[in-house]
Amino acid sequence: MQPLRRLVILCRGDSEQIAPWLDEREPRWWLTCALTIAAGCALYGGVVGLWRAPLQAVYTAIKMPLMIFLTCAGNALLNGLFAQVFGSGLSFRQTSLAILMSFTIASLVLAALSPVAFFIYLNTPPLASAARGTGHSLTLLCDVLFIAYAGVVANRRLLRLLERRCETVGAARRVFWSWLAGNLFLGAQLSWVLRPFIGSPGLAIQFLRDDPLRGNFYEAVLFSIHRLIH
Amino acid sequence: MPSDAGLGVILDTLLKRPVLLIRELCEAPVSRHWALLALVAIVTFALYGLVIGSFSGGNQWMASPLKVSAGGLLSALICLPSLYIFACLTGAEVSLRGLAGVLFAMLTLTGLLLLGFAPVAWVFSQSTDSVAFIGTLHLLFWIIATSFGLRLFSHMTKVLRVADRVHLKVWTVIFLLVCLQMTTALRPIVGTSEHWLPTEKRFFISYWIENVFSAALPTAPR
Repeated sequence: MQPLRRLVILCRGDSEQIAPWLDEREPRWWLTCALTIAAGCALYGGVVGLWRAPLQAVYTAIKMPLMIFLTCAGNALLNGLFAQVFGSGLSFRQTSLAILMSFTIASLVLAALSPVAFFIYLNTPPLASAARGTGHSLTLLCDVLFIAYAGVVANRRLLRLLERRCETVGAARRVFWSWLAGNLFLGAQLSWVLRPFIGSPGLAIQFLRDDPLRGNFYEAVLFSIHRLIH
Repeated sequence: MPSDAGLGVILDTLLKRPVLLIRELCEAPVSRHWALLALVAIVTFALYGLVIGSFSGGNQWMASPLKVSAGGLLSALICLPSLYIFACLTGAEVSLRGLAGVLFAMLTLTGLLLLGFAPVAWVFSQSTDSVAFIGTLHLLFWIIATSFGLRLFSHMTKVLRVADRVHLKVWTVIFLLVCLQMTTALRPIVGTSEHWLPTEKRFFISYWIENVFSAALPTAPR
């Protein structure tokens, strides 16, 4: 089957057709998913970074797919172990492919929303204007909404695939929630490490902030909450 | 409906038996209907743009039709990729050409209804000097016309036997927001300005709050 046709079937979520793909050993489908993630996230990331500067667009186009690949790779062993202990019947290879396919769906959704994101960029107060704070906030809000929607869609598809492949629905749901928790936990921290994606108006354009591994996402959230309360 | 149906048959089917047209657009292997529908949509929008331009006159006779038709087409093209992916997410088996046809059918129906509102809009255009009032009226007519147009997507989900419609509803919200922002991106469409296009970027809600809701009361009736 042609790769493009497979991507369409993947979006449609026809789990009867998709489930057998987990048993394939050829690298062609893996490569298709990886290229789709790279292209889709690069396209969306480039648009998101445009508001700050063209250079930020290039950086974000590189970092968005990188974050996904690092999350998949970083949690590959853990996700495979969860699949084993919760009785999904999936191997480590099948686990990685299933998760890669869900990220592929998210990337396709983000790529499809890129023209809308570009239109928003064209209508957002630019960096040089007095309303640049509004521009930054609007860009951030739209980015969060689009990524959240793509994520929810992709994970619903993943759950449906697991329900098809696992022996019981209970096993499918345990595996799914464990993968989601692990990927969110690591993904949030990777987004912190790889920041900035949009680029704060008051800070210089950098590929990574100085000492990127220092500090973490959760400490920053706790600090913000503490500052709000006090 | 024959695949070589003329424009009259297509429009008649669109108005009286839209499900039949949707089925033809989605299921026919090759169809030129989408091109005809796109053309009609552009023309009907341009004609309604003339009515809008009649309020201010001058450059707006040319600017308003251009902006209304270009704005409608641009909004559709911006949202077409997401329409295809979101339609796939619903499980619908439909080609990009078929979806483009449905989208242009939606715009055509919207344009035809706007033409129906055109005499009413013209009468009110001549009755007031208030940009805020006439702008709001045009917006209201556009909302009504678009709501009829968007019903075609409901027909499409029935034709394609789609159970999960939430993604198309999300797409509808995106499309409406893009259209509403387009009205601000291409301003002025109703009033006048030294420039054909704005020199400042504004979000449509803040622009409306500033110009429509806080505008001075219209002048006394003529």
